[in-house]
Amino acid sequence: MQNDSLHKFYGWFTFLGLLVGCLVVLGYYKDEYREWKEYQHRFIQEETKRATTPQQRALAERTPVEIRQIILPDLNRVDRCTSCHLAVEDPSYGGYPQPLSYHPQHGQHPFERFGCTVCHRGQGRATTKADAHGYVEHWDEPMLPLKYIQASCGKCHEAGDNPSAPELARGQQIFETVGCRGCHKLAGAGGILGPELDKVGARRSPEWLKKHFLSPASVSPGSGMPPQKLAEKDLDAIILFMLSQTGETAPGYYASMKVIPSAAQGQRLFQQKGCMGCHMVDGKGGVVGPALDNVGLRRTPEWILKHFRDPQSVSPGSVMPRFGFTESEARALTEFLVHLRDQKVALSLPQLLGPVERGHEVFRKYGCAGCHGQDGKGGVPNPNAKTAGLVPDLIHVADGYTKDELRARIVKGQREINAMDPKRPAPPLYMPAWGGTIGEAEIDDLVAYLLSLKPKGEDAGF
Amino acid sequence: MNIPRPGQVWKWLLQTRVGRSIFRVGLPESNLERSQAMVSSFLLHVQPAKVHRHSLKASYSMGLGLISLYLLFILVGTGTLLMFYYVPSTDRAYNVMKDLQFVVSAGLVLRNMHRWAAHLMVFFVILHMCRVFYTGAYKSPREFNWVIGVMLFLVTLGLSFTGYLLPWDQLAFWAITVGTNIAAYAPLVGPKLQYLMLGGHTVGQEALTRFYALHVIVLPGITFFMVSVHLWRVRKDGGLSRPAEGGDSVQRIALDQLPTNKSYGLMELARGTTPQVGKNPEDEVFSWPHLIFREILLFLVVAVVLLVLAIFFNAPLEEYANPVHPPNPAKAPWYFLGLQELVSYSAFWGGVVVPGILVGVLMLLPYIDRKVHGVGRWFARERILANSIFTVCLIVAVVLTLIGSFFRGPNWSWQEPWKKPAAMTEGH
Repeated sequence: MQNDSLHKFYGWFTFLGLLVGCLVVLGYYKDEYREWKEYQHRFIQEETKRATTPQQRALAERTPVEIRQIILPDLNRVDRCTSCHLAVEDPSYGGYPQPLSYHPQHGQHPFERFGCTVCHRGQGRATTKADAHGYVEHWDEPMLPLKYIQASCGKCHEAGDNPSAPELARGQQIFETVGCRGCHKLAGAGGILGPELDKVGARRSPEWLKKHFLSPASVSPGSGMPPQKLAEKDLDAIILFMLSQTGETAPGYYASMKVIPSAAQGQRLFQQKGCMGCHMVDGKGGVVGPALDNVGLRRTPEWILKHFRDPQSVSPGSVMPRFGFTESEARALTEFLVHLRDQKVALSLPQLLGPVERGHEVFRKYGCAGCHGQDGKGGVPNPNAKTAGLVPDLIHVADGYTKDELRARIVKGQREINAMDPKRPAPPLYMPAWGGTIGEAEIDDLVAYLLSLKPKGEDAGF
Repeated sequence: MNIPRPGQVWKWLLQTRVGRSIFRVGLPESNLERSQAMVSSFLLHVQPAKVHRHSLKASYSMGLGLISLYLLFILVGTGTLLMFYYVPSTDRAYNVMKDLQFVVSAGLVLRNMHRWAAHLMVFFVILHMCRVFYTGAYKSPREFNWVIGVMLFLVTLGLSFTGYLLPWDQLAFWAITVGTNIAAYAPLVGPKLQYLMLGGHTVGQEALTRFYALHVIVLPGITFFMVSVHLWRVRKDGGLSRPAEGGDSVQRIALDQLPTNKSYGLMELARGTTPQVGKNPEDEVFSWPHLIFREILLFLVVAVVLLVLAIFFNAPLEEYANPVHPPNPAKAPWYFLGLQELVSYSAFWGGVVVPGILVGVLMLLPYIDRKVHGVGRWFARERILANSIFTVCLIVAVVLTLIGSFFRGPNWSWQEPWKKPAAMTEGH
């Protein structure tokens, strides 16, 4: 073991040393080569080509190749999408092939406040196409297909409020009319046969939802939910509405912005916030404050807005308190009052409806139609139920029940449904106990409504 | 023009004023300088100036302990760099992992290297332990060093386990949940122990803070101290174990017996079968270059393997930790899967009694098995009983770990890995 035997070591040292060197270089290259750099070079090339003066040209050539990101601490997001999508704010790139295409602005959603992923989903921190668009393993939030993009409006805005999200409103309307709430709770209201839907949009993908609506049992084995027969367009709308239910809440600044200051929104607020306790519109309301039908003629919009922020600032001595409206609420109320100047608005107050009409609202609100059919005219399939395999209709209850019996039936429900064939599996749908979910007064109204139902043509009576 | 060879440049550099001030000896030319090269260098003096030929045989030690040590160094290096980015907060830790991958220069390679080195270290520490067992190297006078070794094995598991939580993804969250649940099966102290580890009843911010502190300061500190003792004792116990040599299985050397013609310092003062200059010099070679070159070579091999792993294989990162959505099955880190498999049969026997007995027996082993035959040879005949028992335990542990890793599906039911898992009711 003398020095000549050590010569083999020098050979190995050289070989392994070079190998380590090569691997380090390879690692460096792999780390240094990033997809987004290629797009940035392409963008710089394009900018240089477009330059008309030497100064512009020099400026374009000096554009740094670097990560670009929108940091959104309130939303706990960092969106690096603009590292590749470099021209989103430059209208002259309209119609360019991606990733260098222009993105039209959406009203009050500047990129530096909202970023990209809060609407589009995907993985904002990622800097490769596959990862950023989010169609990768272990990422729950892939990009939303564009046809469902209005779902994201619903994360902050009420479905009906947003005039630029008609599909969202339509989705909600379908949700409320087909009777989903009969079995599913959403925002605290609804039945208990199916799971709550408050975060369904964060849990489920559009593909899953579609399969689920068409054939619930295919993705949720054992589900008793009947398949939904909806037109393709309606199906997409209700999927869209489901996707909007992510359970996220808009923080701080975003919460103050979420009410869209429209006259319609203002009217809703006007009724909600109890303005009519003091003010009269359309001949209804209190007399503590002035009637507001013509306030738009007497005052400028700026004056009204200031008044909402702080009544004392424009009419000293006013007894109206500072209600602490958010900025967008104040703007919406202002819009409404200005709108009154040009157009008469009939304000209907809920308590002016009769018990039957209110009961019909209750029937819709809790999704009774989901099982018992629209207006109680006929039920959905409930395999092996003695009632001809269907959930019973409700148009004959007036013949079979007294007021108190019907009331008890709704409050207590019926857990065991008689089976047609006792050997086959029990019917999956049953009547849950609604007492405690539907309010006392609401149940009274509902009973009144149900007792008013009659099959067509039976008005003649006996 | 005459281009100097790299070797000549190196030589010239070492003999300049600056070079000599740093390295003192320069490239050793004589035996005196060879021993001085070792003794006068802070980094090298931990090792002897001369080593026994037997200790250099790759077929004997296989370099397993040294590989573990190299991995530890790499882990400290990469870990320190990762600390510049990491924030032990449940809100931010996961985002840091994403940033490392997507925007930090070499961040992903760094994390990969740390992850793979951690797994490899557990693996090589186990192999090192097997080597020491099969060569009977834990016997007198090395009994206590074996005990320290067993503790180091446990600390290594602790380091890996605490690091497992830090990315705060689903894998981390549920592996630690399962792991700490196993700890809770211990009688009397179990639930308290779990509470102490987690700072609560479930894995959350407090657990992350604790695991982070343990991972970056407490356990590395303990590891460094114990590794120092471990290495110190290797030298004080007379170097690596080797078979007794006829006639010279040297007794303790009294101070006055020390040879006077020594060419190296007092640091060779040790007990046991210590090399004595002038006694059997033909069995001893100078550490420089015979030991040092082998060590460098081994380091290069470790570096190549780790670089390949780090460049081509990404460390796993699953979804952000979600305490209400457990994966099915939730699995502990691989080195605890044998334990998890045992626990699935019986929480008490599998989670407490069996591992308790195993660790206890491992710790006490040198004091149970006291015969001094068969030291320094692989699978010595005299040790057939001990080796057989150990082998059976090892095979059982490996089989249990393999079952836990590859043959357990939803609800810990039997699942052949080559078959598709049954459709999940909670499909995503």
